Amino acid sequence: MANVHNWQIGREMNYPYEAAFPKRQFAFVFNINRCIACQSCTMACKSTWTFNKGQEHMWWANVETKPYGGYPQFWDMKTLELLEKANPGAQNWSGKPGADKKQPYGKFDGITVFEAQKMLTPDSARVLGYLPTDEEWNSPNIYEDNPVGKKGVRGELDKEGVELPEHKTWFFYLARICNHCSYPACLAACPRKAIYKRPEDGIVLIDQEQCRGYRKCVEACPYKKTMYRGNTRVSEKCIACYPRVEGKDPETGGQPMETRCMTACIGQIRMQGLVKMNRDGSWTEDRYNPLYYMIHVAKVALPLYPQFGTSPNGFYIPPRWVPRDYLRQMFGPGVDEAIERYTYPDRELLAVLQLFRRSNRIIFRYQIKEGPKVYEATLRGRKITLYNDTVIAYGQDGKEIFRTTIDEPLHVRPGKHANSI
Amino acid sequence: MPYNDPDPTDPNMLVGVMLPADAEATTEMAYVFAEEFARMGHDRRQILSLFKNPFYGGAHGAYQSLGETAIESIVDECLAVWGTVVIRDRDSCSPEARATSTNTVLRRE
Repeated sequence: MANVHNWQIGREMNYPYEAAFPKRQFAFVFNINRCIACQSCTMACKSTWTFNKGQEHMWWANVETKPYGGYPQFWDMKTLELLEKANPGAQNWSGKPGADKKQPYGKFDGITVFEAQKMLTPDSARVLGYLPTDEEWNSPNIYEDNPVGKKGVRGELDKEGVELPEHKTWFFYLARICNHCSYPACLAACPRKAIYKRPEDGIVLIDQEQCRGYRKCVEACPYKKTMYRGNTRVSEKCIACYPRVEGKDPETGGQPMETRCMTACIGQIRMQGLVKMNRDGSWTEDRYNPLYYMIHVAKVALPLYPQFGTSPNGFYIPPRWVPRDYLRQMFGPGVDEAIERYTYPDRELLAVLQLFRRSNRIIFRYQIKEGPKVYEATLRGRKITLYNDTVIAYGQDGKEIFRTTIDEPLHVRPGKHANSI
Repeated sequence: MPYNDPDPTDPNMLVGVMLPADAEATTEMAYVFAEEFARMGHDRRQILSLFKNPFYGGAHGAYQSLGETAIESIVDECLAVWGTVVIRDRDSCSPEARATSTNTVLRRE
């Protein structure tokens, strides 16, 4: 075991291999507050990569309804329980979120999936995990508006119709893809070294020639984003649409393009980028990269279950309305600060939030041109001032991709031709 | 649809568990509803009717839990900030208003 630094948990940790980081890292921010679970991302991915025989159960991109839903069922709860069992009552954070880039969310004092040796079976296993059952993979969006029959009657819908269940409690939609982690558990667990992380963009791939379908990656990934394919007897996972990220799509003329799931997002919740990495695994300061800004400056986007220890590169703007205890468990101690910033965004954050989904090109830099004050008011004792600034996005080649304003025009179609363009 | 009936002894199985939100989360949720609809140009009557209608489970749950006075106060507060957007549909305007209005109207008043 090597000793590596994981900035998301604010400490050194054990990992089976020496740390190695790409020049740039594939990363993304999902704004959960905007997600409506339309599943456009899910179907964009499905129709591009997993529509073949043997892939029926595979959803590299999925949206699940939390707290009950999960694909596979209970994926997060089960890993959290395993860790709790390995380290009872001690899976806690200490310190507070602060300016220290080595531990921006404080320090996680519990153990990660790489540090639960006493729980590992067999002894040769490197990562704490479990293999989901076939049934847990069967219902990708279970409990989300399932039609049900009369109680006690199986396999038959109610002929008279039933009232749909009311959501009497809070819930939110969690969109997920592979996090292309900096310390991938799938990679750590593979006995054949068939999984690798690309040095140019940090995308984690399974070499289909090397894989023998041992499913150690499926067992190890705490996010359960590697999946076994029965008819080819190898495992598969999200490939981050790497031909698009490489700029191979003719539409962009060689410029990096965002993945299918990102560009299909109707709710405009998604932004994907390629961030610069230092040799120690921290992010190179790149003040006007929108992802760097949201994650390291505004700190409005947080990693998903950082305590698992894989240093995921997917970050989420947490939903405002969900009880904080649940969110702190899911996104770590930075939740309160992130929600505060999102609820009362400053001038720069408001502009950066406008960058989501205006283009399918990867944004490498933004610039804000100040506009006039539109209005000001007070909400919950806080002054809100809105400026109609213009935010300009630039691509890898330094050329402008688009520009947009804070105050968007609203177009209402005439009643006579409401459906015409 | 699940293939097996829920096993009541399985702690992971959903058998009608309610995860209640605390007052803070419910208040936050009510603000989100009110802000969202105020930004879309709904007026006080429309937003309040959303909260009062049991069909809208989330909003109505907050209405029941926090009470009418609290909800009215939240709606008024949000309207004061975000309710300045007025969308006029020319088709349903009077002929006089139609003459001075366009179909693409975003007006802050």
